[in-house]
Amino acid sequence: MEGFVAWLIITLIKILVILAVVLGVGAYLTLLERKVAAHIQRRPGPMVVGWHGLLQPLADGLKLLTKEDLFPRYGNKFLYNLALVMALVPATLVFAVIPFGPEFELFGIKIKPMLTDVNIGILLVFALGSMAVFSIALAGWASNSKYALIGSMRKAGIIVSYEVVITFAVMGPIILAGTLSTYDIVQKQIDQKLWYIWLQPIAFVVYMFAMLAETGRVPFDVQEAEAELVTGFTVEYGGMKFGLFPLVEWYIEVLSLSAIAVVLFLGGWSPINIPFLGFLDPLFFLGPLSPFVWFILKVSLLFLFVLWLHWTLPRYRIDQIAETAWKVMLPLTFVNLVFTAIIAPLIWR
Amino acid sequence: MGYIALLIFLFILIGLALVFVFVNKLLGPKSSDALQDYPYECGVPLYDKSAQSTFHQGYYLLGLLLLLFDIEAAFLFPWTVVYRYLGIFGFIEMALFILILTYGLVYAWRKGALNWQFEEESL
Repeated sequence: MEGFVAWLIITLIKILVILAVVLGVGAYLTLLERKVAAHIQRRPGPMVVGWHGLLQPLADGLKLLTKEDLFPRYGNKFLYNLALVMALVPATLVFAVIPFGPEFELFGIKIKPMLTDVNIGILLVFALGSMAVFSIALAGWASNSKYALIGSMRKAGIIVSYEVVITFAVMGPIILAGTLSTYDIVQKQIDQKLWYIWLQPIAFVVYMFAMLAETGRVPFDVQEAEAELVTGFTVEYGGMKFGLFPLVEWYIEVLSLSAIAVVLFLGGWSPINIPFLGFLDPLFFLGPLSPFVWFILKVSLLFLFVLWLHWTLPRYRIDQIAETAWKVMLPLTFVNLVFTAIIAPLIWR
Repeated sequence: MGYIALLIFLFILIGLALVFVFVNKLLGPKSSDALQDYPYECGVPLYDKSAQSTFHQGYYLLGLLLLLFDIEAAFLFPWTVVYRYLGIFGFIEMALFILILTYGLVYAWRKGALNWQFEEESL
């Protein structure tokens, strides 16, 4: 019984930490994005609210909270609200299986810095990732407005195309690790002294493309396409409901997919890797904190890379995006899969 | 145990999402304007009250392709995990499977299913 209570308390603390990290960091990433965008375009960005705009996310949140609750008159109210739930819940649930660092001991209890280490971690991530398509399709459909419907259909089309691609792309690292648990995949990379990106460069590139497409980032942001569709499927949403969709799509999903990329290809919390020789840790002076810093550093770098692309590149058309997925990316992942299956026995030893 | 933690997290998140759904109803102002809930349109009245009947058929085709390939991806996942215990038998099995998959892809490609379905230009 006492073991159960201790487990319950630890679980609740972990959930609180994850929620604080996801929603707090998610909110502050809006500021980061505006700052990065501004400096790429040589302007200062938010400067008025707080020092260099540090309180801007709070101001935005307050503004969104005090807006009137509107509902498009020909829409379907239940589906309209369900879309919101379906957007937030799966995207945040993914963080339950992301390992932030190695197992550590606190007051004699061994704690893994992830909510739960289920042995189907990666499968769970992509099952929940595919749920995103429901929220988007429902949001456009239930609003019953042309712009929303066109935007949501485009996004749904892109997600279903890249869903297949991303699933085949992650199979390479899984073959090398021989497990679906996210914690064990990182542990395997440390044991084998090899980041899987060195053997899976194609899979990594394809994964990055699919990640941009699934999160609706430039160059694949046809669902928003502010010049033609206003804001796509969120056009009939207002107030906090409107705020939630970009938060989920652009920040929470990009964060979770970056974290999964780090887990699968960049060795999770391990320091810089020299293939087959070992690890080089310039941050050794941080002691037991160093793995956590490495993990956060890698995820931040991937996130900044996505931001950099977003504010630099132009936008593709939907037909170009869908055809690239099926005609270029998918055959590439097939080739990569067979290649991985051939070289995998050399890596296991 | 691991799945119970997931379940707890799921319920907390659903609660949070419901807060997001209803918070504007509680905190926001209420005004009455005849056209405030009118669907977004560029300055003209709607031609058609429902937008749900008209969307591009190319998306339907994408959905079909997804069904085909995602189910096969689901078949391959267990194989990737146990591949190291299957040896050469597992490799040949998988190579055949991927070959059939590739054949399916080539077939769809030749049939033109991978091309974007542009509407006929009619004047």
